[in-house]
Amino acid sequence: MESATLECCDVLSPQERRIQDELAGRESVYLKSRQRPYAILKSFEGQRPRIDVERAIYFTQSMKETEGQPLILRWAKAMRRIAENITVYIDPDQLLVGRAGCPGRYGILYPELDGDFLGLAVEQLPQRSESPFNIDPKDARLLIEEVAPYWKGKTFHEDLAVALPAETLPLTYHPENVLLSRYIVNETASFRSSLQWVHDFEKVVRRGFASIRDEARERLEALDPFSPVNNMEKRPFLEAIIIDCEAIITWANRHADLADKMAGQERDPRRRAELERIAAICRRVPAHPARSFHEAMQAQWFTQMWSRIEQKTGTVISNGRMDQYLYPFYKKEQEAGLLDEDQATELLECMWVAMAQFIDLYISPTGSDFNEGYAHWEAVTIGGQTKDGRDATNDLTYLFLRSKQQFPLNYPDLCARIHARAPERYLWEVAETIKEGSGFPKLLNDEEIIPLHLAKGATFEEIYDYSGSGCAEVRMPNRDTYTSGCAYINFAAALEMALYNGRMKLYGDERIGLETGDPRQFTTFDEFWQAYLTQQTNFLKHAFIQQHIIIRLRHQHFAFPLGSALHDLCMEHCLDLHTPQIPGGINLGYFECIGYGTVIDSLAAIKRRVFEEKKLTLAQVIEALEANFEGYEDVRHILMNVPCYGNNDPYADQIGKAIDQAAVQFAQKYSKELGVHLDLRYVPFTSHVPFGRVVSATPNGRKAWSPLSDGSSASHGADVNGPTAILLSNFNTKNYDYRERAARLLNVKFSPKTVAGEEGTAKLVSFLRTFCDLKLWHIQFNIINKETLLAAQKDPEKYRGLIVRIAGYSAYFVDLSPDLQDDLIRRTEHNAI
Amino acid sequence: MAPPATAIKGTVFSIQKFSVHDGPGIRTIAFLKGCPLRCRWCSNPESQRSVPELAYNRDRCLTFDNCIRCLEICTPGAIHRDHDDRPRIHWDLCTQCLLCADACPSKALTVYGYEVTVGQVLDEVERDGAFYARSGGGLTLSGGEPLHQPAFAVALLAEARRRRLNTAMETCGHCRGEDLLAAAPHLHTLLYDVKIMDAALHRQYTGVSNELILDNLKRVRAALPQLPITVRTPVIPGINDDAAAIAAITDFIAGIPNLRYEMLAYHRMGKPKYGYLGRDFEISEPSLAEGSLTQLKKMVRQRHPHLDLVE
Repeated sequence: MESATLECCDVLSPQERRIQDELAGRESVYLKSRQRPYAILKSFEGQRPRIDVERAIYFTQSMKETEGQPLILRWAKAMRRIAENITVYIDPDQLLVGRAGCPGRYGILYPELDGDFLGLAVEQLPQRSESPFNIDPKDARLLIEEVAPYWKGKTFHEDLAVALPAETLPLTYHPENVLLSRYIVNETASFRSSLQWVHDFEKVVRRGFASIRDEARERLEALDPFSPVNNMEKRPFLEAIIIDCEAIITWANRHADLADKMAGQERDPRRRAELERIAAICRRVPAHPARSFHEAMQAQWFTQMWSRIEQKTGTVISNGRMDQYLYPFYKKEQEAGLLDEDQATELLECMWVAMAQFIDLYISPTGSDFNEGYAHWEAVTIGGQTKDGRDATNDLTYLFLRSKQQFPLNYPDLCARIHARAPERYLWEVAETIKEGSGFPKLLNDEEIIPLHLAKGATFEEIYDYSGSGCAEVRMPNRDTYTSGCAYINFAAALEMALYNGRMKLYGDERIGLETGDPRQFTTFDEFWQAYLTQQTNFLKHAFIQQHIIIRLRHQHFAFPLGSALHDLCMEHCLDLHTPQIPGGINLGYFECIGYGTVIDSLAAIKRRVFEEKKLTLAQVIEALEANFEGYEDVRHILMNVPCYGNNDPYADQIGKAIDQAAVQFAQKYSKELGVHLDLRYVPFTSHVPFGRVVSATPNGRKAWSPLSDGSSASHGADVNGPTAILLSNFNTKNYDYRERAARLLNVKFSPKTVAGEEGTAKLVSFLRTFCDLKLWHIQFNIINKETLLAAQKDPEKYRGLIVRIAGYSAYFVDLSPDLQDDLIRRTEHNAI
Repeated sequence: MAPPATAIKGTVFSIQKFSVHDGPGIRTIAFLKGCPLRCRWCSNPESQRSVPELAYNRDRCLTFDNCIRCLEICTPGAIHRDHDDRPRIHWDLCTQCLLCADACPSKALTVYGYEVTVGQVLDEVERDGAFYARSGGGLTLSGGEPLHQPAFAVALLAEARRRRLNTAMETCGHCRGEDLLAAAPHLHTLLYDVKIMDAALHRQYTGVSNELILDNLKRVRAALPQLPITVRTPVIPGINDDAAAIAAITDFIAGIPNLRYEMLAYHRMGKPKYGYLGRDFEISEPSLAEGSLTQLKKMVRQRHPHLDLVE
């Protein structure tokens, strides 16, 4: 055993062993073949990110000058301003170029979104304990003096806050200070201008922006010059497309110029050749179709970085099906002997280390609470099926998995699609990668996602070709359209309001929910259940009201010429991607259930102990809750030891299914009024921690202000029947007869010993196959010894490189708040018997 | 009319899901209560007695500060206040009425063992059916000694086969030969313990001689030549962890056709449970010396190159 701290663990995961090797001064075996990505990684690893203000400044300058013009045109002009002026960089050792800000780890600002937080942020970001940022005092002054004042009264967040009805406001924000979230029915539209998104990258690499620009020009010339709609709507749209396509080409060409200049000064002949090659590639793409793997990678990278500069998309733009759209380039060059596996892997890893430097900066405290550990999810999707329903895995698929096994980095998120006929080799490699222990890849299940989206209106061809997007969602890049960030609903708060007649302990006597009566007077469980349901339904009502406002406000604040240029439907109808209704589009949104396990277990405890066994009265339960169980440990344990969610126990699972059903029924009835699919989702990011901070003690024995259960996972330590039971409880609680289902995120933690050796891999593969059979949406794993997490908490310096799975993404453990660290440690670890 | 086989009752002390180390695939283990052996190293002491019994884990107790339910309910006066404000159980006074366990909120006082029917066990086992289908797993009977409740065990296996479950059984072999021969035809895999070859030592450490065990092994092999049987030896430091002890076992089984052989490393995980039951743990040896299992395997491979040894 390598380390004293881990003596008790029989088996270490490869990640754990690597960290122990590093502590012992042994070099990674993969270091030699990966000098370039390692060198780039070392240049920023562990660095506190900086805020770069250039994007915010040029964007604001241009917007000041274009007031009164159509929004999409203003946006494109702002992008042109940025393209012409923003500093361009070429990093040492890098083969791919394109940054949105200064060297090292950095974040950029979007004042049009949440500029009213700027003052607060500049003050607090360097001090905040989770995911802090540095900012240059000169830049801070520029922001406060030049950027913030312009946006005052113009931001999306301010417009939203004043539009909320009096009954909705106190569930959303603190009524006296809208900068503070209530974490009850929490809007997320104000910290991202849309939900996660994936571009049609195939269009980028096959066609290029010059061709899209030319198409827009032709269409512009063909417009009916007398039509008011053509003049006032289509013309500005097409002009904006032309301007933005030229902007990204300009930006690429400035990199070519810089590369040429640097090549002229470079003494090292090898690097000089690389720079010359970079220059040639940047003149070619993304204007024109890519001809090589390297060109395709560069075209994709320019496009996603330009997207990031243009707009803050939730979780940043995902990478799409990289093993599909890159494969023809890879295959052609490999067959011609121009590219080998190592060279292709090097280019991929150049992209990963570039990605890791861009931090998705959330300046509002709420946004940051949702995304601890510098989270971003530019998920790379691999595997799955082709447009015509054949297995899609190829040689490149395996390169992505190999890179994840061998190059320890938490970006990008890797998303492996699986389906009933997924080849055994693929599942083995996926299982081996999972066993590495850093949480990659997450799995998305074609057998659930494809039929569900057919029911939602997709064609076979479209949904067979879906990409993973964000932490657990999917996109069809030419069919679905932008959706605003949606409400996160604290179901545990609804439970608290059922206990306290519409009030919450944290907010004292303020009535926030509905008055459903004093539960101490209830004589049947059904009365209590109805009270809970009334509160839950009231939350849904206000979530949908929020969404109604958001949908109608969003397109007045945001435009996305780049995203529109790449979308078939936007181009066809000359409509910006933010338009609330795009003909032929499918709008896939969701509302989020937080605290599912907490609520199920609490209701099960009340049902069994109070109304069935009469071991306790509800008055006794409430007395114990109000005391946060202090002096009532016996009551707490009586409540805890009932059937809980996550054990494949019908008693608890029936309650879970009823909660889910009430929510999907509400969605079925009302989401069509909104013109979007607002469906029930269970994907918390890290929000179950801040949502827990507003909820007092709950009848499942949970202490006040501690985290709620996450996603569709069980409450902490409540799942005592092993991992098969967790999957089956998920299955049992889903309402498969409704299409108003969205993603369910599922965490499973194994000890490395459980899956050790070839036999362990075989069993993990069969576990994944069963996950697929059960038509669950998503699953992800932490394969780690609890002792490692405890050691890392105690000695963060030594465990800087330890990557763990959070919620749809992986992050460095030491970057997380102590609350979230504890939360991870308390997730039940499943040992084999 | 005789009751259906699914109504036959027996006593189990645990049904555990997601077992990946006892038989093929992802399995569920039903632990049957009661064992004719008293192995000194037994890691499941709660498996030994045939009837449900009280267990007390003081670490889970909330202390008398918070709760005195057990103290109030115990009529024979077997529960006393200990110096750390927790119950001390006078096991000699305990009548095993088990009321205290029912009253205990924190499960510090619990009961090992409960009565169930064959149907109930298999319904529970089948709840993980989706996992067996993909992994080739199924039901494993363990114990205790499953054949200590022969009618129950045989009915479980027969009904499991009827439900197309893959079946395995772990046995110590100390049972009536007829019972073993009644159970074996319903098995896909038999896991058969041979612990010590020396009859006197076997009696010293397990309480019984090994003659019946060795004889039963030969009988079941002869009766069912094709049944996969893995003979297993828990390797216990100071008792059978030397080359001579293991060589004696492998010499014996090499003479019986078509057996696999596996050595299991001893672990002390069962130790706290002795305390819960108010019993002493008699074995004080530490864990196996590092590498000793590897050494023993090497020896076995040299001695019996044709023996199917589990790595």
